[in-house]
Amino acid sequence: MAKINFKKPDLSKLKEIKLPDPRSIKLPTLPKNKDEAKKLAHDFWYGKPHGERRLGELYMDKTGLYKHREWRGVKDTLYYFNMIWLYNYGQMVADIMKFGGPVLFAKGLWRYRWLGQTYLPVLHWFDRGLEGLRGEALRASAWHYRAMTCVTINQFMNMFKADANLHNGAHNDAWHHSIAHKETVWGGIFYPWSDKYTNIPMEMIPYFVTCHVNNHTVMNYIDAAQSLGLPGDPCPMCQAEAGIFVLDDMPDYAPFVVTSNEACDGSVASTAIQDWFLNVPLFAMPQPMQFDDPLVQEHCAEEIRECWKFIEEQTGAPFNWELLRQKLERQNELQRFEWEKWDVAAKTSHYPINGVAQALYRIYQSQYGDHYIWHDTDRRVSKIMAKCVEKKIDTFPKTRHRVIAWSCAPLYYSNWCTWAYNCWGLNTIINMDSLMFDMTIRTDKLENTVMDMARYHEWAPMRRMAVGGMNHIFELWENMERFHCDMVMMYDQLQCKGMQGVKGLFEDEFRKRNIHAIWMPHALPDKRTVSRAEIRRIINDYMSTVMQETPLDPSLLEFDDDMSW
Amino acid sequence: MFHQRSKTCSVGCKVLKVFGKLFAVLAALYAALFAVFYFDLDGKLLYYVVEPFLVKHYDKMERKNPLDQPYDIK
Repeated sequence: MAKINFKKPDLSKLKEIKLPDPRSIKLPTLPKNKDEAKKLAHDFWYGKPHGERRLGELYMDKTGLYKHREWRGVKDTLYYFNMIWLYNYGQMVADIMKFGGPVLFAKGLWRYRWLGQTYLPVLHWFDRGLEGLRGEALRASAWHYRAMTCVTINQFMNMFKADANLHNGAHNDAWHHSIAHKETVWGGIFYPWSDKYTNIPMEMIPYFVTCHVNNHTVMNYIDAAQSLGLPGDPCPMCQAEAGIFVLDDMPDYAPFVVTSNEACDGSVASTAIQDWFLNVPLFAMPQPMQFDDPLVQEHCAEEIRECWKFIEEQTGAPFNWELLRQKLERQNELQRFEWEKWDVAAKTSHYPINGVAQALYRIYQSQYGDHYIWHDTDRRVSKIMAKCVEKKIDTFPKTRHRVIAWSCAPLYYSNWCTWAYNCWGLNTIINMDSLMFDMTIRTDKLENTVMDMARYHEWAPMRRMAVGGMNHIFELWENMERFHCDMVMMYDQLQCKGMQGVKGLFEDEFRKRNIHAIWMPHALPDKRTVSRAEIRRIINDYMSTVMQETPLDPSLLEFDDDMSW
Repeated sequence: MFHQRSKTCSVGCKVLKVFGKLFAVLAALYAALFAVFYFDLDGKLLYYVVEPFLVKHYDKMERKNPLDQPYDIK
């Protein structure tokens, strides 16, 4: 238990605040003639057209903070202010009240770095992802962010309710009714106990989501893992997941844990460290990497059955088939809507969700499992999407290239696609992680359900295509056709040994098929290896030299956001 | 007559005044919040004040050393 010594904040630090020089803020000049006045009034009312926005000039140097937020015209600015900024601050407070109360939240905030450092600036995460968006695209994408924020708050408040660290070491009722598992174990495994037990992934909130919201936090955990003497070159995701435990920053919220080898052997290694520090009963539920073999499929299903037995032993609560069936039906509803979305994205220019909202929402929803907010969000987005299709609204009108993003994305720059659209008109239609769990699960009888659940688990992020074998990694080509994409953003996770091994094969295929592909190097959560500015430079170089194109917004070509969240 | 009229409207006026004041306060609050939003004052506060303060706190926290824990199987 950490000892808390409260000291008054050092207010002299306030002097260090560097606010922008008021002279650097460009005030609109008075119009010189009638045409200029008309243009000014038009820009005020509707916002500047794409190409005249100069979004890069809104940033403060290095920090990525805004001198002022973007003026999107009266309607969209007021929508952003009322329905995104105000609404989400309000909903965050409401969620905290609903899921455990402000005292519990404050205790968690004071105890855990990943909460305090990361989640307070969550509205900036919205800003970065939604830059430049207008109309229905702004609305639909923002609802995705709202859902992810709600589930995040729900998870960490559930952790805190049960956390012995926040309750003087006591193992309360919530602790006895919580199940811990690796974030790469799909939440659906625990559906049969979901009426009495709460499953909470260990690293999803302290690690995965933090990287997107505030990438400063995760570096503490990567460095902590290396401080044990571990080498720095393995997957930084696994390093960070272990580092949370090394820094004693994991809540003690459950009496047992379920782990997995997802996505690869790196997770097994991090689990060994977690097992040591957790010191609670553990069930390892590995999934086969080369999963096409039907015999392997049966083996994987058996692993799930064994896991269920383990949970029964640990909880004393019986497996509830009816509950599993109901929850899976609800999850299947989400999948069916996802297919509808893909259909619109693939065949029309009316898809109202931008690349980053699509990617993050989908991976979060399909990995975490059923939650009421996903259904609420899908209902809202369904209405917006129907409106876009009916009225034939071109949601991303400056699209020059339809991009498919393949392999594992840089978590510290998941909003690169927002930048790429604003700067170059590169519209990311779909990404690999979205396409992973491309199935519904049969609920007619248990045998079929378990076999489908095994398949679902094998199709997890970073597994199905990334390390799932040659046939699957090359599903890229059929998905390019399916989504009518003419360009590939090929993520190059420098510390993923699996994906590094197939780089040459991809290069050969790109040449053979005459496909424009940009390799985007990165180190998953760690921005120190390849900076965001470097990623932008690589895209800029390709677009200007190979594609011979000019930027839509030149102010976004180069800017320093090295210290930004 | 004038006196009577002013007397009868005084309750209404008071209510109107209260609503007027309430409206003015809410409008001022709304405008202030809009200024916070537009000039990213929430971001600046969090970036320059809250995060450094919390980071300092987390850096100073006493933590148990997990390496002291023996590695065994439960």
